[in-house]
Amino acid sequence: MTDTPMTPLAATLRRRVFLRGALAGGAVLLLAACQSASPAAAPTAAATTAAATTAPTSAAKPSAPAGSLIVSLPGKLVTPDPHGSFGADRGTLTAARQIFDSLTVRDATSGEIKPGLATSWKTPDPTTWEFTLRPNVQFHDGTPVTSADVKASLERIVAQKGPLAPLWADVATIDTPDNGTLILKTKTPVGTVLTSASLLLVGPAGKIDQDGFFTRPIGSGPFRLTSWTPDAQMVLDANPNHWAGAPGVASLTFKDIPEIAARVTALQTGEINFTWGLPPDQLPPLRTDNKLAFDTVPAFANFFIWFGAKREPFTDKRVRQAMWHALDLDGMVKGLLQGVGTRSQAPIPPTVFGFAAQTPYAYDPAKAKQLLAEAGKPNGFETGLLWSPGNAGPQDRELAQAMISAWNAIGVKVKSVEEERAQWLKDLLALNWDMDFQTNSVITGDADFALRRLYTSAANRTGYANPELDKVLNDAAATLDQKQRQDLYAQANKIIWDDAVGIFPFDIAENYIRRTNVQGFTPDPTQTPTFNKITITA
Amino acid sequence: MPAYILRRLLYSLFVLWGAATIVFVAIRVVPGDPALLMLGSDATPDQLAALRARLQLNEPLPVQYARFLGQVAVLDFGTSLRLSQPAAQVIGERLPATVELALTAMVIALLLSFPLGIFGALHRGGAVDSVVSTVSLLGQAVPNFWLGIMLILLFARELRLLPSAGSGSWQSFVLPSVTLALSLIGVLTRLVRSGMLEVLAEDYVRTARAKGLTRVAVLARHALPNMLIPVITVVGLQLGHLLGGTVIVETVFGWPGIGRLLVDAIGNRDYPLVQAAIIVITGGFICINFLVDLSYGYLDPRIRLA
Repeated sequence: MTDTPMTPLAATLRRRVFLRGALAGGAVLLLAACQSASPAAAPTAAATTAAATTAPTSAAKPSAPAGSLIVSLPGKLVTPDPHGSFGADRGTLTAARQIFDSLTVRDATSGEIKPGLATSWKTPDPTTWEFTLRPNVQFHDGTPVTSADVKASLERIVAQKGPLAPLWADVATIDTPDNGTLILKTKTPVGTVLTSASLLLVGPAGKIDQDGFFTRPIGSGPFRLTSWTPDAQMVLDANPNHWAGAPGVASLTFKDIPEIAARVTALQTGEINFTWGLPPDQLPPLRTDNKLAFDTVPAFANFFIWFGAKREPFTDKRVRQAMWHALDLDGMVKGLLQGVGTRSQAPIPPTVFGFAAQTPYAYDPAKAKQLLAEAGKPNGFETGLLWSPGNAGPQDRELAQAMISAWNAIGVKVKSVEEERAQWLKDLLALNWDMDFQTNSVITGDADFALRRLYTSAANRTGYANPELDKVLNDAAATLDQKQRQDLYAQANKIIWDDAVGIFPFDIAENYIRRTNVQGFTPDPTQTPTFNKITITA
Repeated sequence: MPAYILRRLLYSLFVLWGAATIVFVAIRVVPGDPALLMLGSDATPDQLAALRARLQLNEPLPVQYARFLGQVAVLDFGTSLRLSQPAAQVIGERLPATVELALTAMVIALLLSFPLGIFGALHRGGAVDSVVSTVSLLGQAVPNFWLGIMLILLFARELRLLPSAGSGSWQSFVLPSVTLALSLIGVLTRLVRSGMLEVLAEDYVRTARAKGLTRVAVLARHALPNMLIPVITVVGLQLGHLLGGTVIVETVFGWPGIGRLLVDAIGNRDYPLVQAAIIVITGGFICINFLVDLSYGYLDPRIRLA
């Protein structure tokens, strides 16, 4: 131990001292554990407290609203940064929509575009958009919101090259002649500017690019960040000065509960009072709970099974149609998607702008076999279905199994190719698959985001190339007349559906579940709801 | 002793270097592209190339490796690709939650397994001993995720005594730490019991009894210290494991610890964050092992650390 050996007595003494010390140490640890577990010491050093929100909490004001809305998001909240790589992530968008204001607002019920930070807009010519900003709007730190902030936010979306960047790909210049005016010039006419502007969430210029800004973000939205502990909770308090009026609750908390059983329990016990995105098998007992209320709405999301249009034998339209006729989709809705899915009527969900209902493919195995025979595959063939378990939507495994056995019945042996998300994404884009099974969310609520993004030959997401479809989709994007766009998308819906570029089996329904004392909620098809109109009764 | 510490330190550095190298290689061998995961399915090849260049993913692996080692040597763990924050800072924010939970679970386990194990040994073969043995076997055998969910259903849903998830209040510590502690209790009780049985059969214990010492004195002064070494070894190893994060328990109870951080980082191919987390976890393990080894010398003077 040391170079000079200890006498046995000294060693014993030191040993006893140590043992006693260890015992005392254990007791201290126990005390420390209890200490740190006390509410006062929570939520530990991990919490990042926003220095800027020094204003007294609205709960302290006599006229302020009362009540805490505690929400558990369906997925993980990685960041509230709506401009970067998580810009289309539902958790990110939900949090960001409380903290930041958008240039325009898409009405959750009617789908109409309404004023947000911009009170009005005009298009003096088809490539110019002039937005007039709402006067006297302030960020949570008191600085005014100006056109420079809108410009910086838009430029950041483009620079970050995240999923929202393509929405603004045709922007040529952004001018700010004065603090209250923003002039957007596009290279070609762009018909989706106003819907895209509903996802343009505005942060303060000069600050949004600073490292760490989005760990304590400052916006102008209805709620202000109080603290955020990643993977635990984000706490927001009401912004009493919001232009649309103060929120109806004093605070809003996003609590992370990844385990479904725990989330359901928390809802039943009232630890949380709002959630959504629960799997269908959890819903029946909740529907009969008289403390809970459901708001169900068709979401902007659907399932599809794409065919690799350059891969044999899916080069033949009849084979693709045969695969569709082989599926008993009504049966799967009834058996597997009760309450969370309905049968699709088009390549995009009915709530999305540009939807046009198509003739359903009937469940008809005999016809499927006949089509296969016509295509020269009377004895079927072998192929693979690529998907990423846990990322392909509700009940993905059950649906994949049901489809594979249905295809087996018409002689098509389908191997389930299951990949982790990282690998799946790589193979998906490399077109390294025969069939791909997934869900897609049309976050803008406009057909352009689903159809032109995914089905033009330039996008090349499936190998399907059809000049006629390309023209229709490009024309629709470059038209400002919304009626004319609707007509063009009707054609596009029909081409994609009849050519069976993919199978479009189910649209997703969202079930927002709240405690019955939570009032004033408007269910939102985007699956990223806002909470500023909610009140909580005692 | 200083020579011993120096040797251990060098050895620890070697282990850390090994762990760093293994994680550096392993996370890159797994298929998946961090740039693609960040940009998503709408990324164009140009955008991907630009991001790969910005993240320095295009450089030859030996160059990346050399830079990585150079940075780690000065305790710079790089910036998380996904969170754009220094990896060390991200881990620093998560570590306290993991440490609190691990220590609480360990303290609960120690407080229960010693009395249970000693009691079992003293009443060997009796009804109580059978119960203790069965319970500790069960504690080891029951899977964490099942136990965690059962505890939530019982204490949160049925009895409404405790929160079902979250952290931040003393109540929220109870279920996750008990879930973790139960398997520890299983291991430690069995260890204490068998160690105690062995020691009780030793001559010096018989001598102590013959001297007329009370039962408590025999246990506390002669038996207990002599069976501590294997127990401390196991406590050290288990604590090391707990500090590495307990993904399943953290997920079931929504606990913001380092285990979930690491799993997410792996899913996102966030190379710097995965590397930093593994190095920190390895470092923790090494420190605990070192303390355990030092404690041997104090517990048993016959052990010389040189």
